[in-house]
Amino acid sequence: MIVFEHVSKSFDSLKVLNDVSFRLASGDILGVVGPSGVGKTTLLRLITGIIAPDEGSVQVAQGAVGYVFQEPRLLPWRTALDNVAVALRAQGMEKDGARVKAAEWLGRVGLAGFEHYHPAELSGGMAQRVAVARALAIEPAVLLMDEPFVNVDIDLKSSLMVMLQGLLAGGKTTAVYVTHDLTEALRLADRVIELQADRTVRELDLSDRAAVARDWFARASAQE
Amino acid sequence: MASTSHRLNRVIWILAGVAAILIGWQLLSLFLPPVYVASPAASLRALGRLAWGSTLWIQVLITLKRLVVGLAVGAAGGWALGIASGLYARVRAFLEPIRWVGMTIPVVIVAGLAALWFGLGDFTVMVVVGLIVLPTMFVNTVEGIRAIDRDLVEMGRVFRFSRRLLLREVYLPGIASPSIAGLTLATGIGIRAVVLAEVLGAASGIGHAFSRASSWLETDVMFAWIIALLALMALIEFGVLRPVRRRALRWRKAEQ
Ligand SMILES: Nc1ncnc2c1ncn2[C@@H]1O[C@H](COP(=O)(O)OP(=O)(O)OP(=O)(O)O)[C@@H](O)[C@H]1O
Ligand SMILES: [Mg+2]
Repeated sequence: MIVFEHVSKSFDSLKVLNDVSFRLASGDILGVVGPSGVGKTTLLRLITGIIAPDEGSVQVAQGAVGYVFQEPRLLPWRTALDNVAVALRAQGMEKDGARVKAAEWLGRVGLAGFEHYHPAELSGGMAQRVAVARALAIEPAVLLMDEPFVNVDIDLKSSLMVMLQGLLAGGKTTAVYVTHDLTEALRLADRVIELQADRTVRELDLSDRAAVARDWFARASAQE
Repeated sequence: MASTSHRLNRVIWILAGVAAILIGWQLLSLFLPPVYVASPAASLRALGRLAWGSTLWIQVLITLKRLVVGLAVGAAGGWALGIASGLYARVRAFLEPIRWVGMTIPVVIVAGLAALWFGLGDFTVMVVVGLIVLPTMFVNTVEGIRAIDRDLVEMGRVFRFSRRLLLREVYLPGIASPSIAGLTLATGIGIRAVVLAEVLGAASGIGHAFSRASSWLETDVMFAWIIALLALMALIEFGVLRPVRRRALRWRKAEQ
């Protein structure tokens, strides 16, 4: 469960989020779209509690939070395996079990054989997949993803999206998926909100997804 | 391979630097009377005599012990206080005036006071070395903590790392590099401090032997002790600092 009630957040004089409200039940998947600099990452950081709202309130259900940051954010001194295992250890898992589970998850994101590579030895897309494995391995109650597949090639992205859909389907995990690509959001999410440049928020009506996509692309091409 | 030829190039230039020192030394000894500068050959002969009579080994070991103990205690203290100060602004503010005093008071004064309080001997010298290296280690460690990637700390917080896990997985590896730089710097300062402290506050060790040779105008013996000191530093650099650096920063290899 994630509840935003009239949340506003500014950095110095810059108002980033203005009166944002939404309510996600356990198991809901929210897509967040919007142009660069509009406040998508800020919204996720509010959910983690790392930053607090200036006005309004943010409530998040108890439980582990998995976060795929916009950049991989791995520990450079740890191998791919240990980066995932450390997150499991933080949830209270013992060492050997954590390593076994971490290896399984690296396999699931297509990184079998790269367990002992350090982040600097991985490509951007590979490092991003380690970060995805780290966030999913802990079986979080709340899963936050900030453009998780931005550096991943299109085939792999498809298969990872399918995997993600499978994991989230019918589960209890509440997920927020940030992207600037509406089609990704439409594939994964039950609901989509759009943060707009004028600092207003609009929830898209997904009863006709095809129409939403058509409208989106019409607007995008109008801007070009 | 490019990297091997690169390394070879480096070694050649280092050897050239060593040769420049030796040639400069030889030239000085040719133009100045031996009481000012002992020639390399005369210095080596004096070193041989010291080694033969076993004075050399005894004094070097005495100095080494004082240096290592003083350095270990002072560096560990500076490191621990540095971590605490890096993490807690209050601790940092509280220690700031003490740090300032520590970095401002000259070694000679610390050594003079320590000799007055504790008498001549091991303890005095170790106290001096410890006090002199502590602020250096402290400052480097504080800077290291402050330079830690905030995003990694945020990651640790989001994934609910315990304090211990955050320290072990994020902070300590994050400050490995500045800590080792601090230790290298502290060792250089420590070796100067140990000699000075032995001149003022001890009746043994390289510093004491050096000052005795100096009052007898035994220039060749003075130069022999300088060589011994340089050898000691090389021993620590290659025997301790480099292996530690290589181990602690092994993951860095991947970045090159
Ligand atoms: N810690 C901060 N201090 C000051 N300003 C910030 C901070 N974090 C974000 N901002 C500002 O808030 C605005 C929104 O930033 P945010 O990172 O949330 O955007 P975003 O929607 O995630 O953009 P992108 O798609 O480019 O990642 C930007 O103008 C940014 O400069
Ligand atoms: Mg962002």
